[in-house]
Amino acid sequence: MQKININQLEKILYHVEKPGRYVGGEHNQILKDWDSTHTHVCLVFPDIYDIGQPNLGLAILYDIVNQQPDILAERAFAPWHDLEAQLRENKIPLFSLESKHPLAEFDIIGLSLPYESLYTNALNVLDLAGIPLLASERGEDHPLIIAGGQACFNPEPMADFIDAFVIGEGEEVTLELIRAFEELKESGADRKALLLGLSKLPGVYVPSLYHINYAQNGTISGFTPSEPGVPAIVTKRIVSQLPPHPTRLIVPNIETVHDRLSIEIMRGCTRGCRFCHAGVVNRPVRERSAAEILQIIEDGLSSTGYEEIGLLSLSSSDHTQVLELTRSVYDKFHDRKVFVSLPSLRIASFSVELMDELRDLRPGGGFTLAPEAASPRMQAIINKPLDNEVFEETVRTVFEHGWLTLKLYYMIGLPGETMKDVQAILDAGKRVLAIGRQLRGNRVKVHLSVGNFIPKPHTPFQWYPLNSTDELQAKLDLLKTGIRRTGLKLSYNIPDNTLLEAWLSRGDRRLGHVIQRAWQLGAKFDAWGENNNVPIWRQAFFETGLDPDFYAYRERALDEILPWVHIHTGVTKAFLQRDLEWSKQGKTRKDCREQCYACGILDSFGKVRPVSPLVYWGCP
Amino acid sequence: MTYAKLGNLRFIGHLDLQRLFERALRRTNLPLRYTQGFSPHMRINLASALPLGFIGEAEQMDFWLDDEVSLDEISNRLNKALPAELILKNLQVIDNQLPSLQASLLTSEFEIVLPPDLEPGNLQDQMNALLEQDSLPVQRRKKTVDLKNLILTWQLDCQPAKTLMVTSMKATPLENGRPDELLVLLGIDPADCVITRTKMVFSEE
Repeated sequence: MQKININQLEKILYHVEKPGRYVGGEHNQILKDWDSTHTHVCLVFPDIYDIGQPNLGLAILYDIVNQQPDILAERAFAPWHDLEAQLRENKIPLFSLESKHPLAEFDIIGLSLPYESLYTNALNVLDLAGIPLLASERGEDHPLIIAGGQACFNPEPMADFIDAFVIGEGEEVTLELIRAFEELKESGADRKALLLGLSKLPGVYVPSLYHINYAQNGTISGFTPSEPGVPAIVTKRIVSQLPPHPTRLIVPNIETVHDRLSIEIMRGCTRGCRFCHAGVVNRPVRERSAAEILQIIEDGLSSTGYEEIGLLSLSSSDHTQVLELTRSVYDKFHDRKVFVSLPSLRIASFSVELMDELRDLRPGGGFTLAPEAASPRMQAIINKPLDNEVFEETVRTVFEHGWLTLKLYYMIGLPGETMKDVQAILDAGKRVLAIGRQLRGNRVKVHLSVGNFIPKPHTPFQWYPLNSTDELQAKLDLLKTGIRRTGLKLSYNIPDNTLLEAWLSRGDRRLGHVIQRAWQLGAKFDAWGENNNVPIWRQAFFETGLDPDFYAYRERALDEILPWVHIHTGVTKAFLQRDLEWSKQGKTRKDCREQCYACGILDSFGKVRPVSPLVYWGCP
Repeated sequence: MTYAKLGNLRFIGHLDLQRLFERALRRTNLPLRYTQGFSPHMRINLASALPLGFIGEAEQMDFWLDDEVSLDEISNRLNKALPAELILKNLQVIDNQLPSLQASLLTSEFEIVLPPDLEPGNLQDQMNALLEQDSLPVQRRKKTVDLKNLILTWQLDCQPAKTLMVTSMKATPLENGRPDELLVLLGIDPADCVITRTKMVFSEE
């Protein structure tokens, strides 16, 4: 096994931009003794340090694993192009930040896959580590490669490369998996037996233990375990109560995105927007109490010295104690020179009041609201109804309370959308700008940020085709022409940039060949829009004989076996289908805290629901 | 405050170091002084940027407190709050009327450990030849700097186990010497050397 030559590495670091990305040594880094710890785990976020280090999921797992005295967890990230070239030229394998051990020396590598555009980076990381890309080509001496994260609710496109996926929340299953790994290894299990053993853990999916058959038309005709005892359906893991939040967070030495004390105040969302992947896969809603959050802030600030706090959730104004929380945050911390951001607020005057409670604790800048759709018809289709009076009242409150910039998020390409619905986005923007100018004059800025809808697995819209590039372009053209001389600002995504996510998010196992070929042809950092790797991906599809349109533009039949058929989020197919039907009828659903629509979550997880009323679950 | 910057932190640049100090100081919970105004900033002042990759043995920084706290107490809290490779060397109360560290810095002294495989041979002769020239122009971004004006002393120190180079260079905002540029003139790759800023000399006024 090749060791990293530290002198050689340091010499290379002189020649790269931002060497601080690769050296670790941050405050709160945990550096354990390699030889006196039994099991070595490397947590890998396959994007550059600047993007990956702030990831809260990584921080949570780093904390949980390192709390075990006999296990060591270190970190690694994807190197930027400059270091990658140096590593390849000097034949230095990719290494961990803490002890600079080559990744191949670890027992387990845990890959974080929160979104699809990291897939080629994940392959690149394995390659730089000298680990065979294909799970089938790895032997007894190679690390076990596990992956988890929100993208893994459809694990199939990455199935060829990953030994075992963790489906759902990792706080409990990660340690169970490591301990099971240790026991199986000690009992002398070979790799095959190890994987078979791990497949029996709830929430662990071992893709090599399944047979898939395809029909003539390319759809899946059968998905079955190939060994006895392997579960046909893998149900996601959840924690019944949000575990203690890490507070001894690593403080990066170089500037990163979201360089702040991030605190998850709530998990899940009860609103049921039909396009929303996170809203389905993170059910049920679980909260931390205001008192607990205040203590986390106190401890987190002492241990990190951060000057900014981010209170994170999918829908912060829905936290049952959010008003009390914002008031107490101001009272307790206003003299500590901290900024507090509270993103993901609902469109209601109440949200403006919340931000007002934080007064001088909020970072300067604008207010953001996300109507997502502008016409009442589209709002009903996506189940995000918005009364126009409420919208205008909220907007008025925003401007009256001192904000001069308002950013509005919308989507185009939604199911059933017409040009009239797109025009409604422009009309809404103009109305908002008129209100702002009436109240605050010409200093007011209104910014329309328009994203392209991508159908996601496990949502009521999972059967819909993606809008074609031509359709999206026509809608964008309408917007681009329409904002001229209005004073509105428009930002949007190039239609082609949505293709990769569309192909991969609902892809099947055959896409493994495409991912590998695209990586060989040079695709990486696919999330970085300026790379425009779409032509490379088209080439990869062509060479592997697969049709990209089959994945992006095809409407799936309701009885089709979808590639994620074996992954159960707790929400039933019957519920999704009913919700799709309601969407077609323009029928909306209430917030599910008010009324249960029997999505299936309580059938799957009701048993683990805490009996104590002090532990909040959003379900009635 | 005098401190050493070592190990992995050699690869952290000046602006990043400034932020790192601000956060470390916040962790101490000392009564730090902030600037007035809409977005207050902590008052800290680093003497001089240390080039990426260099070790600093006696770097200096000023910070301000609103209340009097004993040096022992400050030192205790700082020791707990600093990352492992930033080491507190000394603390001293200074007169608030003194000019800033940047304004009073005159010279910096450096020690360079040359690559172990480098034969010192005629290195001294090469150095002498350079010093005898009227000017030593080097290119920094778009402007040309005359290194000759910036070198105060420059010596070779051949020890049994290693070869050292010791130099003292001007370090004012307008005339700032960089020892790695001397190495380049000699055809030595600075990345092969270990360069340490050992001392900073300030004006007595």
